[in-house]
Amino acid sequence: MNTTATKSNLYYHDRVVTVLVAWSIVWSVLGMAVGLYVAAELVWPQLDFGYPWLSYGRLRPLHTNVVVFGFAVSALMATAFYSVQRTSHVPLFAPALAWFCCIAWQLAIVAGGLSLLAGINASKEYAELEWPFDIAITIVWVCFAIVFFGTIAKRKIQPIYVSNWFYGGLIIVIAMLHIVNSLAMPVTLTKSYSLFAGAPDAIVQWWYGHNAVGFLLTGGFLGMMYYFLPKQAGRPIWSYRLSIVAFWAFTYSYIWAGPHHLHFNAIPDWVQSLGMVMSLILLAPSWATMINGIMTVSGAHAKLKTDPALKFIVLSLAFYGLATFEGPMMAIKSVNIVSHFTDWTIGHVHSGALGWNAMITFGTFYFLVPKLAGRDLYSVKLANIHFWLALAGTMLYILAMWGAGVSQGLLWLSLDEIGELNFSFKDIMGSMAPYYGLRVVAGVLFLSGTLLLAFNLFKTLQGQKVVRVVPPPVAAMEAA
Amino acid sequence: MNGLGLHQRLERNAGLLIFGILFVSAIGGLVQVLPSIFQESLSQPAANTRPYGALELVGRDIYIREGCGTCHSQQVRPLLAEVKRYGPYSRAGESVYDRPFLWGSKRTGPDLHRIGGRYTDTWHRVHLLDPRSVVNNSIMPAYPWLAERAANADGDIQLRLKVLRRLGHPYTDADIESAPAKLEGLTEIDAVIAYLQQLGAGLGAEQ
Amino acid sequence: MKQQTTLAPWFPLRLLISPTKVFNELAGTRPDPFVMFFKYLVWFALIPPFLAYIGAATFGWRLGAAEPLFLPAGDLLLVNMLYFAALLFGLVSTAVISQWMASTYGARQSIGIHFALVTIIAGPLVVGSLVHLYPHVFINILAFIPALIWSMFLLFRGIPVVLRITPERGMLMASALIGYLLVAAVSLLGITVALWSRGIGPSIGV
Repeated sequence: MNTTATKSNLYYHDRVVTVLVAWSIVWSVLGMAVGLYVAAELVWPQLDFGYPWLSYGRLRPLHTNVVVFGFAVSALMATAFYSVQRTSHVPLFAPALAWFCCIAWQLAIVAGGLSLLAGINASKEYAELEWPFDIAITIVWVCFAIVFFGTIAKRKIQPIYVSNWFYGGLIIVIAMLHIVNSLAMPVTLTKSYSLFAGAPDAIVQWWYGHNAVGFLLTGGFLGMMYYFLPKQAGRPIWSYRLSIVAFWAFTYSYIWAGPHHLHFNAIPDWVQSLGMVMSLILLAPSWATMINGIMTVSGAHAKLKTDPALKFIVLSLAFYGLATFEGPMMAIKSVNIVSHFTDWTIGHVHSGALGWNAMITFGTFYFLVPKLAGRDLYSVKLANIHFWLALAGTMLYILAMWGAGVSQGLLWLSLDEIGELNFSFKDIMGSMAPYYGLRVVAGVLFLSGTLLLAFNLFKTLQGQKVVRVVPPPVAAMEAA
Repeated sequence: MNGLGLHQRLERNAGLLIFGILFVSAIGGLVQVLPSIFQESLSQPAANTRPYGALELVGRDIYIREGCGTCHSQQVRPLLAEVKRYGPYSRAGESVYDRPFLWGSKRTGPDLHRIGGRYTDTWHRVHLLDPRSVVNNSIMPAYPWLAERAANADGDIQLRLKVLRRLGHPYTDADIESAPAKLEGLTEIDAVIAYLQQLGAGLGAEQ
Repeated sequence: MKQQTTLAPWFPLRLLISPTKVFNELAGTRPDPFVMFFKYLVWFALIPPFLAYIGAATFGWRLGAAEPLFLPAGDLLLVNMLYFAALLFGLVSTAVISQWMASTYGARQSIGIHFALVTIIAGPLVVGSLVHLYPHVFINILAFIPALIWSMFLLFRGIPVVLRITPERGMLMASALIGYLLVAAVSLLGITVALWSRGIGPSIGV
């Protein structure tokens, strides 16, 4: 086979990986900067200077979309393309299509981001982009699936490695969720009405919203962990059996948990209760995977280096543990009474997004980029400073939002002896200013860390050609 | 081990793996989401709930465009303090004409589901144009541009109503025919106020 | 490393000034768990609730909005006893978890040294709890931020020296402990809120 292969098929396709990594970093800086800006607008509302496109309501969807679809998805595509080649011992299937995914996706984010600024907004959370973008996303996603599963189909190693199950789950489930939730009837090119209305729409939306978090921000990144953590630690995953059980339990139970976003809302009680119970069950597979990860690094005695990449990945597991515990806890109705509609939810999302997603991605990039560039990281010292900035920023963010959220939740519900409200909404809202101020500080810390990463990795890649790696020559296909 | 043996088949066959993931992840949706889509009681309008008028619909679409839902919920929970603060709790039947729903997930500002009739049109106008002139510590953005743009600037109101009719909203030909006239001479801020003032009206008869 | 058998009684306070010295001293000792527990941990768990009681009785809880909230003396006592219990549980469980992790990371395993480790981490927080004397939520959060940063610094720096493992593995263990502490903190938050919303504590309308 090797003799007949064209030149480009001799090497792993890592240039497309590098470009995706670069875009992911661009989006992380931009997305976090927009996040910081909206955080500042909640302290100084005049910051929109009277421009519609700088208005909070338009920038917040931009923040979430750029971070989730720009930063996270680009990082997932990059790492999926990188690891699927190495776990299959073959170069990418249809590399041209991989390039199409890479470029089309970035164009969709640019155009989609601009459309959000223009106020073209379908208003479903994490699915704000209007129908033409929904179609574009679907097309790119199908191409992503073809490249990914095509590579697996021509693999030279029989068993499909566990990281690929998670990436596969990401591709399949997100496709299902995205298509169903985006069903709408177009009015014009920039306006459509959802096929679902009212309560059913709410249930469909949170089935989507919760599982976009589940299969993209949790599952997809677990795929990243399952490949890069053992690579970093230099030893195989701690328990293969645990990874199987956790994967299927995760895939099965996550999908049920969405209605905990609608506790005490106008949807049937059985749907709420089922959502709560399944959220609690979800803790088991989430933590099983975390334990598998922690035990994998913990046993890595000899090979361990003080390398910033591993630091980030290990710390990300700590925040993963927090977020996957906090989530089910907040799904308990008697906690949710207080936490619902408050900044506690925002804090929870960010303990996941900053502490888990961003940190594991940073760790992976600190490992990956030097490999792609074929030289050492430009500055380990900068990476270590980044580590502390990221940790401090995340902790400060979480603390500020815990304080804000719990105060809001309790004060809103607070009644005096004769059953009258103790506090006006206006006063409670006014008392949030210091917390919102703290959050701005947290954002500055975290963003400056991300800027250090961008600079560091840019310097690492600067002037280098992407290293060409040849798949292992011996076909490892087992004689079954 | 038998389980491991079964899994080895999944692991060696990409097609089976894809199917397995799809099957396992679809169960939850089929059992939990699908029945609620077709549950009749969730699509029955409440006593006073009617489809949005042309002006209100334009207002609602502006509310969506400006992302008001990122800070304001429209869902009063059945809790004593919430009913005290906002009014009667929200019923499913009140949002049957909401495409998409706007219940929200965050209250940076107060809930708006029972805001209709609480303040005068003039108050809303002043508040939307300069929130801090009426609520001194407000952190809401100002929306000066709403007063400058015509309510029918997009010119597609009839199309919107037709699409909604196809989705099952009971608009008559006369409703659609007269829609542009109802927007005549009005600005976007009038539309938003009209939308806000009818919020919560759906409950009237029951209370 | 010079071997020492005794520990200066005020070592947690000296941590604020010269941590490295104290770490090295601790590394050379084999602390008695009972001494550690009764001499330090119990008091560490007692000081914050005690200060909080005085603060809340004098100034009332200030949640930022409107007037301060005064609880009846009985309720206040109960709340602070629960606070004490939670802190004691937190400190002891952290030590136990840390000891349980120690085998994985090849660290020292006597429970006494892990009690000592917990006193190290808790030290800055106990000092920070002085701010409980004026129980304004935001001022408390503000004061606890530097305390928390210092305490995490001690955790990352202290583990490798005190438990005699390499800095790399110390870093891993410290991150794992941070994970546990975060979960413990959020559980405390969740339990408080759940009890509150079920009508235990100041009334809210549910």
